[in-house]
Amino acid sequence: MMAMVGLAVALFLVFISRIPFGFVLKHLARVSIFIFPLCVLILFTYHQGDEIARFYFLTVTSGGIEHACLIAVRALAAVILIFPLIGTMRFDVAIKALGKLKVPNKLVQMLIFTYRYIFVFIEEVQRMFRALTSRGFTGGMNGRTLRATGRLIGMLLVRTLERAERVYNAMVSRGYEGNLGTLVEFKIGGGDILKAAILIAIAIALNVF
Amino acid sequence: MHISDGVLSPQVWISGYVITVALTAYVLARKTDTSELPKLSIITAALFVASLIHIPIGPTSVHLVLTGLAGITLGLLAFPAVLVALILQALLFQHGGITTIGINTINLGLPALAVYGLFLLGTRTNIRGKHGIFGGLAGGMAVALGILLLSLSLLVTGEHLKDVIPFVVVAHLPLIAIEAIVVGAFAGFVRRVSPQVLKNGRVSSNRQICRTYLPDPPLGPAGQAGRYPWSDLLGGAHH
Repeated sequence: MMAMVGLAVALFLVFISRIPFGFVLKHLARVSIFIFPLCVLILFTYHQGDEIARFYFLTVTSGGIEHACLIAVRALAAVILIFPLIGTMRFDVAIKALGKLKVPNKLVQMLIFTYRYIFVFIEEVQRMFRALTSRGFTGGMNGRTLRATGRLIGMLLVRTLERAERVYNAMVSRGYEGNLGTLVEFKIGGGDILKAAILIAIAIALNVF
Repeated sequence: MHISDGVLSPQVWISGYVITVALTAYVLARKTDTSELPKLSIITAALFVASLIHIPIGPTSVHLVLTGLAGITLGLLAFPAVLVALILQALLFQHGGITTIGINTINLGLPALAVYGLFLLGTRTNIRGKHGIFGGLAGGMAVALGILLLSLSLLVTGEHLKDVIPFVVVAHLPLIAIEAIVVGAFAGFVRRVSPQVLKNGRVSSNRQICRTYLPDPPLGPAGQAGRYPWSDLLGGAHH
């Protein structure tokens, strides 16, 4: 029951942060692929309470349904809560805020850099696969595909190391000394603290009841 | 391989966080220099993207995990790399969960460290094609160990998840073989093309690459360490 309230709170937060529900739903559909199998498994393996249905060797109990629903609702609520976080703020600002929360500088820098380069490498990998396809590569479940994939990743890392070296030299020549200067600054105001306090209070209340 | 939010008990995921924080703090403080961070992160990004590659199996597909690959290329640094990858995955793609970042990092990061040790030992032997063989072993073992840890964390959470574990294990079995072949091919290929990628835990720098390719300088007079004619230009620190 409390889990449902939690889900409602999460949905309400998405609503007041004015993130389009269509966007959220599209992402949720993808996430459900991960949550769904586990729930089905629990539905059939958790035995407690009255037996409701039985097909051959599978039995469904009321406890099982309850437990599967609980996990699904909890997982959905948690995922939905991510949207107000990343949907209302630039990602690099959010990571800067992590630094303000005393997360070590090294980790914050790793997050910023990695985030920035993921998109570069997605393009790179797509280009490499296009090159493979144009040479007659077709994917499939066989050793050849797997070995080709392994070598592709190898080539990706070889190029990556060279690129990393160039990037690093470029950064040093622009004055990088182990600290990132960014143009955006994270500022926290009284309103933010108030909102945070309200949210934490709700979270604690959900836990207590 | 990820556990989502809401499955595990708080005791399990909180202790997951504690262990992850401790290990990451240790590795980052002791084993990295701030100047290595850009390179480490760029490699992490490449591994992240590589793990998005899907391999078709029958009607569905699996995506690579590549923890073994992270282990043999990054060594101890694979642990913070896995952590960063999981944080970004939770935030950007909503895979896994926020509360389970800690425990998932352990389930994927510890196997990476273990197979790094295995790979180091293996590449010291004299077997022909040892990089391919032990790379493959490392790739497969990393997934197998990951499944083991995943099952353990489900088991510790509660009796009611006990019956789920066989399904989880069986579902991941093909991935062990897939990763073994992919990582084996990777290690053999990289060994031939650019061995410094397997530089055993250090993010290689320019200087190390130069050293890899240059033969030893000719011996100086009376057996003293030799010098290249250009050594003075490089401040003497080069060799």
